[in-house]
Amino acid sequence: MKKQLLIFPSIVFFFILLVFFYLLIIDRDPTELPSVLIEKKAPRFEAESLLDDKKFISTEEFANKTVIVNFFATWCKPCREEHPYIKRLSNTKGIKIIGINYKDNPQRTIKWLKELGNPYSNIAIDSNGQIGIDWGVYGLPETFVVNAEGIIKYRHVGPITKKVYNNFYSKVIANRE
Amino acid sequence: MIKTFSLSVLIIVITILFSKTTIYSVEPEEFLQNSKQELKARNISKNVRCLVCQNQSIDESAAPLAKDLRILIRKKVKEGHTENEIYKFLTDRYGDFILLKPPLKRITFMLWFLPFVFLAIGIFILSWHHKKSKKKLPHI
Repeated sequence: MKKQLLIFPSIVFFFILLVFFYLLIIDRDPTELPSVLIEKKAPRFEAESLLDDKKFISTEEFANKTVIVNFFATWCKPCREEHPYIKRLSNTKGIKIIGINYKDNPQRTIKWLKELGNPYSNIAIDSNGQIGIDWGVYGLPETFVVNAEGIIKYRHVGPITKKVYNNFYSKVIANRE
Repeated sequence: MIKTFSLSVLIIVITILFSKTTIYSVEPEEFLQNSKQELKARNISKNVRCLVCQNQSIDESAAPLAKDLRILIRKKVKEGHTENEIYKFLTDRYGDFILLKPPLKRITFMLWFLPFVFLAIGIFILSWHHKKSKKKLPHI
């Protein structure tokens, strides 16, 4: 009886080992946080618009159409890396892409967009990072999918690369009217 | 000789472990004029996680987002918001993860009380074992 009991700790040990091994091999980023804003209304804000003299008013932008909201900056290297994929997303019918230029230099951003192409229908300037805080942004780039009712349906932290593009695209299509 | 040496090492280790480290990242221009408000902002900042470094509070972190949040907290303190209002503002945007001390909720119930349950189980097993071994002792 006593000897049989001795097997028990080793079984527990192997079970723990298995769990750790599983967590090691699955594709996950432990620093990635779930957004608390999922299924909630997109935060309202007003800001300067980078592309024209009119004010950027969020309630006018988030209406009747699925919107991809992309927080980006020219100082952010992964943003440059994901830019071709943002451009590819902009070809999707029935959606529009809004850029939020996070703590950046407007002149530099305009130059950056001239060089790489502009997939955004409008760009809000977040000069002090306040819009970012309201959206729970903690690292650039971050991209949100907001449906036609103005509800946040999905958030992706980090660049949209070849690896994650299809998954992200499927989330966009699923929330398109 | 060895005994005094190991004792002094132990004392040094304990002093290091329990000494209050004062590594702050608050920059001079961030300080509030009103020391009472500054202290309040300070205490809140110590319980707010820096989401970039994740194991530091924003009070200790030099990350730009931590600085933004420190300034935001100070602004809210100045405007007269209560501690709970400020925590709510932050958790509404970043979730409970932003608090270094998880709040007591139904979902975190296990987190708070499981250690006590394990302690009770441990005490039970120990006393049970103790009783059993006592029985085995031959009577003299």
